[in-house]
Amino acid sequence: MTPALPLAALGVIDAAFSGFRAYAGRDARIRKHRANTRAALRGLAVGTVLLLAPAVTAVLHLLTAADPQRAYAALTAGGSGYLLPLTLYATAVLLSLAAYLLLPFRASTLAMVVGLGPLTLLRPLAIAAACLGALLNGGGWASLLVGAVAGAAMLSVEPLVHHHWYRPAHTVTEH
Amino acid sequence: MLRVPPLEISDLITAADPATGRRLPVRRAEVVERLRAHGDSRAARIVAGLPADRDGVLDGVAVDRLLISVHTEMQRLSEELRIGERLVHLLRPLFTAIRASGVPGPYRLVDIGCGLGYLVRWLAATGALAPDVELLGVDLDAALVGEAARLARDEELNCRFVHGDAFALPEAATVYVSTGVLHHFPEPALTEFFAAQGASPALAFCHYDIAATGLAPVGAWMFHRARMRHPLGRHDGVVSARRAHSDETLLRTAAASGMRPLLYEPRRIANPFCTTLRPVLGLRPHLEAPLRQALGRSSRRLLGPEQLVQAAR
Ligand SMILES: C[S@@+](CC[C@H](N)C(=O)[O-])C[C@H]1O[C@@H](n2cnc3c(N)ncnc32)[C@H](O)[C@@H]1O
Repeated sequence: MTPALPLAALGVIDAAFSGFRAYAGRDARIRKHRANTRAALRGLAVGTVLLLAPAVTAVLHLLTAADPQRAYAALTAGGSGYLLPLTLYATAVLLSLAAYLLLPFRASTLAMVVGLGPLTLLRPLAIAAACLGALLNGGGWASLLVGAVAGAAMLSVEPLVHHHWYRPAHTVTEH
Repeated sequence: MLRVPPLEISDLITAADPATGRRLPVRRAEVVERLRAHGDSRAARIVAGLPADRDGVLDGVAVDRLLISVHTEMQRLSEELRIGERLVHLLRPLFTAIRASGVPGPYRLVDIGCGLGYLVRWLAATGALAPDVELLGVDLDAALVGEAARLARDEELNCRFVHGDAFALPEAATVYVSTGVLHHFPEPALTEFFAAQGASPALAFCHYDIAATGLAPVGAWMFHRARMRHPLGRHDGVVSARRAHSDETLLRTAAASGMRPLLYEPRRIANPFCTTLRPVLGLRPHLEAPLRQALGRSSRRLLGPEQLVQAAR
């Protein structure tokens, strides 16, 4: 099975979270469900566009490869290697998030302090681990390239959404 | 050697006449020099980058805007750490105890050093306390109070905000609360702060501040790094945790109020990963028994000085 679909799904979900983070801390109102949803959708839209970059890189590589079948097999292996660390990371995030949302405030604080907070800081490391996974699983330099482009795309969503919609000058007037 | 507590930038870049609340000019070079003399060159660099006029006086409008945006980011931490719920966990039983003691309502809750008034606005928006509790926020910084009032109007919340000094409180309260304010006051000022509330008609105070654990500065660094964008917020966040008062200091100074001093979830019985902020309370003595009753099982987390000594053994 090609790892492209689960990778794309992870990427899009991550982009929605990035959109949320780009907006978080910019609006001091109490009720902001709709604004949160809008920010997540903005992240999702930006992420979807950015994720075209690794997709195009992979397609170009396949089109220009001397042996497309071998190149495809290598990319698939690399993709699987890339997916493993990201799946572990995503599982940790989802478990922390569930604990944070469902448990009473003391346990929820624990989920934030040891889970969600540090996990945000660890995002670049998770992507580095994914790139390493791609290499170790026999993906070769092409997988590394596609993985690095995808990682850069994912890490760019939050700053781009923040810059475009949630810079201080914007949020003062946007209500 | 006496350890000099580190300085928070936000305490230094604004100054107001305590009587009128009018802004006083602050010279950038003086703040930079003070921070350098304190050995905090990073903070000095942050202040050196703030805009000033030709005479070197910090641009008041820019400083206000900066503090509002840093406090907005800080509110995100309060939201994520569910500070509102943490307070209600104690405030609801406290008002139950006050009602049971026969004091007639309406009551007034005053949040001292409310900043953007997140707590008061959250209480108003959620209706977490009964409607017989009036909600009021007080802060020394006029720009923050103004923004808190604007935010409350914007969402049509039933609460008020006034400008005022914690040491000359403009409005009487049934219960005084605060979050993240105590560490701004050195011990003698803290004693005065509690004593003033003890001398007022208030029935109780309940002030939350960062739990002074070994983990606090590390946690604060991690959180402010992950969640805050401006270097000023990141800097002050970590300094706050390093300035946090110990449980012993809080109990000792709170005793100066003449009220019954108590700590909820003190360090010895709390998990530092679960308790980021914990309160020191002062109660009129007749309220302790009804509060313990209203707290139920959680009452075991409420310790006075004598119980704290026992817990240490
Ligand atoms: C770290 S902030 C906490 C703000 C808010 N309570 C929160 O939890 O986000 C400390 C606040 O205390 C205020 N403050 C400091 N000294 C004060 C004083 N003497 N009287 C009233 N407010 C004071 C500051 O203006 C600032 O808004």
